[in-house]
Amino acid sequence: MINLIVIVISAMMLALLLGWWRWPAFRAWIEAPKYSMLRQERRFDDQNAR
Amino acid sequence: MTTPSEQPSRRDEQRDTQPDGQLPSVEYGLIRAHVFASLATLLISVGFGIVVATKFTFPEFLGGHAWLTWGRLRYNHTQGIFFGWLGNAFLAFLYYVVPRLANRPVLSRTLGWFLFWIWNCAVVLPGWVLVAAGFSQPLEWAEFPLVVDAFVVLAFILMVFEFVLPFLRARLSDLYVSAWYIIGGIIFTMLAYPVGNLVPELVPGARGAAFSGLWIHDAVGLYVTPFALAIAYYVIPATTRRAIFSHFLSMVGFWVLFFTYPLNGTHHYVYSAIPMAAQKGAIIASAYLGMDVILVVTNLLLSLRGSSGTVGRDVPLRFVWFGVVSYLLVSLQGSVQALMPVNRFIHFTDWVIGHSHFAMIGFASFLALGGIAHVWQRIPGTRYNQRTMNWSFWLLAAGLTLMVADLTIAGLVEAQVWASSAPWIESVRAVASYWLVRTFSGLPVLAGFVLFWTSLISGPRPSPATALAASREVSEDIAAPEGDPPTSHGAPSTRRFSYAHVVIFGAGVGFFALSFLVLAILPGKELEDEIERVAPVTMPTLTASERRGRVVYGREGCAYCHTQQIRFLAEDVRRFGAPTETWETKYDYPQLWGTRRIGPDLSREFNVRPRDWQLTHLYNPRLVVQDSMMPPFSWLFSGSPDRPAQEALDVLAYIESLGRARQLSGFERQALASSVEPGTADMAMAGEPSARATPATVPIPMTGGYSLSAPVLHPASDPADLQEEVSRGCVVFAANCASCHGPGGAGDGKASASLIPKPANLTAARFSDERLSSVLWNGVAGSSMPPWRQLPTEDLRALVAFIQSLHVPGSAPSTQAATSLNEAESLFAANCASCHGARGDGNGPVAGALAPQPTNFHLKKPNPEKVLEVLANGLPGTAMPPWNIQLSVDQRNALAEFLPSLYDAPRESSKE
Repeated sequence: MINLIVIVISAMMLALLLGWWRWPAFRAWIEAPKYSMLRQERRFDDQNAR
Repeated sequence: MTTPSEQPSRRDEQRDTQPDGQLPSVEYGLIRAHVFASLATLLISVGFGIVVATKFTFPEFLGGHAWLTWGRLRYNHTQGIFFGWLGNAFLAFLYYVVPRLANRPVLSRTLGWFLFWIWNCAVVLPGWVLVAAGFSQPLEWAEFPLVVDAFVVLAFILMVFEFVLPFLRARLSDLYVSAWYIIGGIIFTMLAYPVGNLVPELVPGARGAAFSGLWIHDAVGLYVTPFALAIAYYVIPATTRRAIFSHFLSMVGFWVLFFTYPLNGTHHYVYSAIPMAAQKGAIIASAYLGMDVILVVTNLLLSLRGSSGTVGRDVPLRFVWFGVVSYLLVSLQGSVQALMPVNRFIHFTDWVIGHSHFAMIGFASFLALGGIAHVWQRIPGTRYNQRTMNWSFWLLAAGLTLMVADLTIAGLVEAQVWASSAPWIESVRAVASYWLVRTFSGLPVLAGFVLFWTSLISGPRPSPATALAASREVSEDIAAPEGDPPTSHGAPSTRRFSYAHVVIFGAGVGFFALSFLVLAILPGKELEDEIERVAPVTMPTLTASERRGRVVYGREGCAYCHTQQIRFLAEDVRRFGAPTETWETKYDYPQLWGTRRIGPDLSREFNVRPRDWQLTHLYNPRLVVQDSMMPPFSWLFSGSPDRPAQEALDVLAYIESLGRARQLSGFERQALASSVEPGTADMAMAGEPSARATPATVPIPMTGGYSLSAPVLHPASDPADLQEEVSRGCVVFAANCASCHGPGGAGDGKASASLIPKPANLTAARFSDERLSSVLWNGVAGSSMPPWRQLPTEDLRALVAFIQSLHVPGSAPSTQAATSLNEAESLFAANCASCHGARGDGNGPVAGALAPQPTNFHLKKPNPEKVLEVLANGLPGTAMPPWNIQLSVDQRNALAEFLPSLYDAPRESSKE
């Protein structure tokens, strides 16, 4: 049980870190929403201000 | 963590163009409705909490009414916070944020109002009313009755349509982390809620507890935490106008949280009968969760880098910042509390209560308040009062800090007392002052919440455009807006990642299912096998009265103070008896193991105390336990402890059934044979704590009398030392004995009116050292006198000295008309010797079958007045009848005159 949990979670973390380090496209893809969120917030502000 | 060249624009462009370039509508009316509902239910729930806390110090406060009892108010306090306050606050925030994150409106305004009315008028209000009326479920975070649970599940299904569908219509790979938390929170709670609320009703005892443990943690991990973090991840960038530090880290944090949180549940039952593999798995998952929280909080705090001035100025952001920091502290605290070396001492203590208040106020409520204030500032026609909200923040922060510090110290004090051999009531006495402080700490918290509401309704009322402009001014004054991605940056193809989130979501569902498999279903199977292997063939079920009593026990919240779970720990075994085994709980629907001990564990209550003691205790605990903080249940009686209503008798029947199966099946004898050592008493006198506490595997017998093997406590012979012991004994007596025996020891304490046999009049007889030692060590079988061997030896010896000092020598009765002593001796032989023995040793032919045993006049030497009183009236509750019909006054006087000759004369001469 313990080994299963430790291995699975550790493997997933390693896989994610590997993806982050190895593939810039993955990096760009996964970081994109934080910018789109800000753009959306501004659009709402602009609309309401009008 | 991302360079500008890596910022994509294509999806932003797509988002900008749909649908028709118009922004989705936002349901401001629903936001306002949920905000007001959240704050109204918050104040009511906190009011419940303060009354509950006050009852710790003043148990009679608002007492005497069934619907105002501690248990029911406690249920309504936690469920009100859970559904009323946090539920409405989260819903308000969802109506604001979902259209922004999904770029689509919520599904339907009509559905939204339907959901509002269901949440408040089919869940919160009926839940409160039903719990107050006595319809509840004694499961932590699942106290509302099943009929209300059905509406909760319905509400979550509606939330899927209202809030998740707009996201599903967008591209999953485009979702911001707050959206993921919202989707995950709704879907996983919808799945976990029925499992945690319904399954324990269908799966008994230890097996059901495994499911309960899952829900206890899922309630926080899959419902409270996701929505609270969604607020944090939204408010921080929206206020600072800067993107969060790393979306990658936020997603790692999200998935690790959803993978590990469901696996935490069983850490509420460490050292229990649940298989150790499941317990250790939960502890490991707790450690992982702690690491994940470090990751999440680091990411959030790094997102605030350079914005310390903003945190200081912007009150909603400050609420969020406080919530984020609390999240880190409380999560690490929880991870440490789950570790076995810590858990063995602090579990069941007030530190755990401090932990949960830290989580629900410091983390969840501060984030919810921050979210509401952020939204309030930005929706048309509303704005908060900055000054009032600032006061709200500081009052809440101060009250919470005091409360958490106080409960943490109280928990550590309790742990210290529990680890010792001191009587249980000492732990109550030790933390009584901390409970008072906790009550006071709730007042600034309540004031903070009131001010928060005041700030919302007392703010300026600008036009929508003015409000937004002002809002933007504030924001832009803080930091230059960020977020315009470059129009050309050579974005790499991301098509191959398009379905990654779907895969991960599938993995999340898989982990959720895995948590039930490895922490509930597999351990449950193991426990089922164990029951089949170990349970006695003829294990008795509960009678109809006991079953009814169990319902009353559950609805009044008894399980929230008294566990029925003796853990596999020396401290527990020494104090309460053999550890609770799975088979003992095979008829417990639902389980009543409990997660908190304010009173002692009741697993071995069978055959321990007589009914009149139990009933008196239930009527008003302080009649028999002076410093008890248990609430009175006087409304289960018709005015006095000796007039119990049927429900009181049912509760009594249930309590007296606890541990019965184990004792009747012979398990106790086996355990006794292997554990009791001949030198137990000597070990205790030598200061060996393990032998001092009542071995609950040996409940006080109802028949057979006290053990003469008790160590004899001789008071000091030196007059000065003796006087010191008497003084000390006076204090011990007042604290532990006076409620039954009266302050002067005359047997006229507050509880004496309802105890049968009456507490002994300690002034009316001379007690030998042996007799007092034996009674203090073993109690008196068949009476309400419990054993007091948990007290320090010095206290016991002091009690012996003090009680002996109470004796008031009486004068001999008039013998003018008395018959001769010889005739009195004949009377004694004819009428008394069959019980008291020929020489008054209390060992007559029938003595062995009597409980309490007949008096041994060599160990208890009553005054002649007492003898005459007993001969005239008998001793109710014992085998001693009144002799005023069979014997004339002269004959009784003769016996009273004769009796001292039994014990004042040397025994050798008596034998002669």
